[in-house]
Amino acid sequence: MSQRIDSLQPGPDLREGNNEYWQTLLERIPYARHLGLQAQQDSSGVWVHLPYQKSLIGNFMLPALHGGVLGALIEITARIAAHGKGAQASYPRILDSNINYLRSAQARSTFASAEVVRQGRRTSLVQVNCWQRERSVLIASGRVQLLLATTAGNQ
Amino acid sequence: MQVVSVNGGEVCMRLMPQSWMIADDGAKEICTGVLYSLADSASGLAVFAEARELTPIATLDLRMDYFRSATTERALLAVAACRYLTDEIAFIHCNIFPEGDKQPVAAGSATFMRNTRGQRFQTTLGQKREA
Repeated sequence: MSQRIDSLQPGPDLREGNNEYWQTLLERIPYARHLGLQAQQDSSGVWVHLPYQKSLIGNFMLPALHGGVLGALIEITARIAAHGKGAQASYPRILDSNINYLRSAQARSTFASAEVVRQGRRTSLVQVNCWQRERSVLIASGRVQLLLATTAGNQ
Repeated sequence: MQVVSVNGGEVCMRLMPQSWMIADDGAKEICTGVLYSLADSASGLAVFAEARELTPIATLDLRMDYFRSATTERALLAVAACRYLTDEIAFIHCNIFPEGDKQPVAAGSATFMRNTRGQRFQTTLGQKREA
């Protein structure tokens, strides 16, 4: 598909290490589209932006974002990061995720960066950090274990 | 997301899958992030059910195990219960089942801090949680 687009016009460059590549991966996920997730790439790796929406609030008293939305952000970020490394046709399957909530998530834009801790033949372990105002002030961090899609196909 | 029952310390919540919850275009699998949100909501409610008071709580951590994929064909039920409660902490376990199925698709284990900062809730379990 990318070849055809390339031949017509400059079009999106779908190589890994490029914003459009990550954005294309995200946009294949209906739930990521629903949350309005946007992928970016910088020298430190891929990161995903979750724009603030009123519907993401879980605690109206503080107000704070719903912890489940942060969980979803972390899992989806891990999923595209593991997918990018493996470059398979289908997404890796998430086996488990372990998320620590470090600070209250305020009603504002949230970012998540992914680091592949270990890329094995069949599984991948991805560390994801979330922040809001300052990258050094983490609001949540998680570790996600994924089963990579093999040619035999799993489920 | 709706609350089905609160039975002592055990709560059950139900979620009807929607097309925007899907994990990949062209598939029927629900995004694990949706199961995660459901487990987080049910687990939080289980803290209130066990403690029988509506003081603010905060999720310290939540760990999920995804046994197999959940599909859009059936509603999902999250059953959460408190395993241990102290004045400061609540330990919760949660299973997620496709409706009518005895085998869970996922299980979660969460730790909550109790009596965190924030306004105390009034009378009812009126905290609306949506995701």
